[in-house]
Amino acid sequence: MKQAIRALGWAIYIFWIILLFFIVTAVYSAFQFTPGFGDLSYTNVSNGSLVVSLPFSIKNGGLYDVSDLQLATLIKDGQGLRISNSTTLVPRIPRGNNVSATHTMSISFSQLASDTLSHVLFDDEALDVEFALRLSYASAVPFRISGNFSLPWGAPLSGLAIGDVSSLPYNATHRRAAVPVSFDNHSLISLEGTMQLELVDDGGHTLSYEITALDVLPDRSYSSILELIVPVSSTIREAHLFFNTSAFNYGPVVIPVV
Amino acid sequence: MPPRIVKAIIKGVFYFALLYALPMFFASRVSEFAPDLVARYTQLLALFTTVVIFFVVAAELASGTIFRHGFNIGKAIFVLIFFVITLDRALIEMTLDLEGTSVGVSADLRIFLIFLIAIDLLALAKNTLQAVDFMSERIEQQLPTPEPVE
Repeated sequence: MKQAIRALGWAIYIFWIILLFFIVTAVYSAFQFTPGFGDLSYTNVSNGSLVVSLPFSIKNGGLYDVSDLQLATLIKDGQGLRISNSTTLVPRIPRGNNVSATHTMSISFSQLASDTLSHVLFDDEALDVEFALRLSYASAVPFRISGNFSLPWGAPLSGLAIGDVSSLPYNATHRRAAVPVSFDNHSLISLEGTMQLELVDDGGHTLSYEITALDVLPDRSYSSILELIVPVSSTIREAHLFFNTSAFNYGPVVIPVV
Repeated sequence: MPPRIVKAIIKGVFYFALLYALPMFFASRVSEFAPDLVARYTQLLALFTTVVIFFVVAAELASGTIFRHGFNIGKAIFVLIFFVITLDRALIEMTLDLEGTSVGVSADLRIFLIFLIAIDLLALAKNTLQAVDFMSERIEQQLPTPEPVE
């Protein structure tokens, strides 16, 4: 019996030594773990996506390996609607090593042209980016660091407006309607494609339409007067705009005509 | 040999320093970064320390009797139940303010609690064996010494 008691006593001492050693070395190693983030960069992709790149580096100067490191981001608009989510995985960071990687977040303009997110095409706002960094320390202790930051967003069709429509003579049955259209491309992509303008009367009938080419560089304005031939007796109630670009297709944008 | 009460007081002060004063010293350094975290665990620590010191002092005052082993077993059972209840709260969460950005940090420390429960189970087994050994020695002392047969 006494030997069993003595053996249990030794086992308890050994377990305590192991536990305290692990705690002390884990706390020391945690302070040697240094994450770092670089500056955001933006890249236009030909399929109409905007890729936001976030370079990051992890310095593991501790005594234990870091495994299953996962950086996840979720981009939401000002109303909390989800725009995009991305995940970057680093399987293992051995002790004493530095690891650098780039986390990419892709924003698809064609997805933004959906009904719930279409306001992002017209409104400049700050997008909310939620991030979560998960890792397993010494394959035993899961850690999670989370937070959020703002991502400035410039709308490609910011300030889209139709000015006062003026009538010019054409012939006995028709007149020329001069429609000023303007917007500012605050986004980082070029708007290349076509814009179709339709004039609609009180009964919802299309009076006339015009298709014009678009080639608006980033941070540039578009302003043009489109001339359409409409019946003399017609009353123009609304203008419908359809955008068909390399980045997105959207329409109709219905604007009442004064 | 100092009297039992002196030894009990010394052990009580030692356990107070080890289980409460030292952790609170480190907690005071952390409290400016995570005041909610420190406040949440201060009450738990005070309760744990109070009960453990009670058992330690009582066991020392009852040394030489079976009650000493009873108090040690009671202490081991209390510590075991305390750790099991605390296991679901081993997820440490705190919010830090870094350059105007609120960052949440959480760590799952259940592996440490599982280790502590394993050590406590060993201590419970050891205290139980010590109690059985004490009782068997007492019984052997009370049995009449067999006389040699002439």
